[in-house]
Amino acid sequence: MSVIETVANMSFREKSAWGMGLILSAGAVSYFGKVMSLSEALGRTAPPIIGFVIAYVVFIVIASVIVMSVLAGMAGKEADAPADEREKIIADKAGNWSGYVLAVPALGGLWHYSVNLDGNMLFHLVFLSLMLSQISEYAFQIFLYRRGG
Amino acid sequence: MASAPPITNRIRELREARGGMSQAALAEAIGVTRQTVIAIERGKYSPSLESAFRIARVFGLGIEDVFGWEAPPAA
Repeated sequence: MSVIETVANMSFREKSAWGMGLILSAGAVSYFGKVMSLSEALGRTAPPIIGFVIAYVVFIVIASVIVMSVLAGMAGKEADAPADEREKIIADKAGNWSGYVLAVPALGGLWHYSVNLDGNMLFHLVFLSLMLSQISEYAFQIFLYRRGG
Repeated sequence: MASAPPITNRIRELREARGGMSQAALAEAIGVTRQTVIAIERGKYSPSLESAFRIARVFGLGIEDVFGWEAPPAA
């Protein structure tokens, strides 16, 4: 089966998971690219820059609206239909698993702070854990959709 | 990888017997997505009892005429 056929056979929610996962990944790479560049320039962990956070959020919101509008336009009435029983189970499982992804970097950040007292790093690690958790939720959804349920 | 559930079904055979009823038509009749019907047919997803009854009703059959239980051999 070609890539085009595979995509065409995906449900609206699986396509949405791909779209959101890619948008969030691009946002995370861009955000942490800037933070790492600034940290290198400063020679220490960069402080939280509210401008970067706002730019990240604005990018995510605008890109999500565009991608979801396009997908909904292509999906027709499927986009308006509520999630069916299998889709609800997949969403629940993915949400549950992503909770563990949220916990690991956050706990790592707390441990790092307790040893180094680096509050800037704590901020970045907590923000990273939020991003990774959301990205992993979409990744788990895609995995479960591909597996069948 | 999770092992496939031990539930078998005759949905594909029954669809074909009904003049090639499409997966999309069956999905619409029971209120799920076409991808969920595909997953059920392939044995990758076990439907809820309610959906199993709905599927059986679409074909005018009892639930055990559509679904079966194939327990794995005891170790």
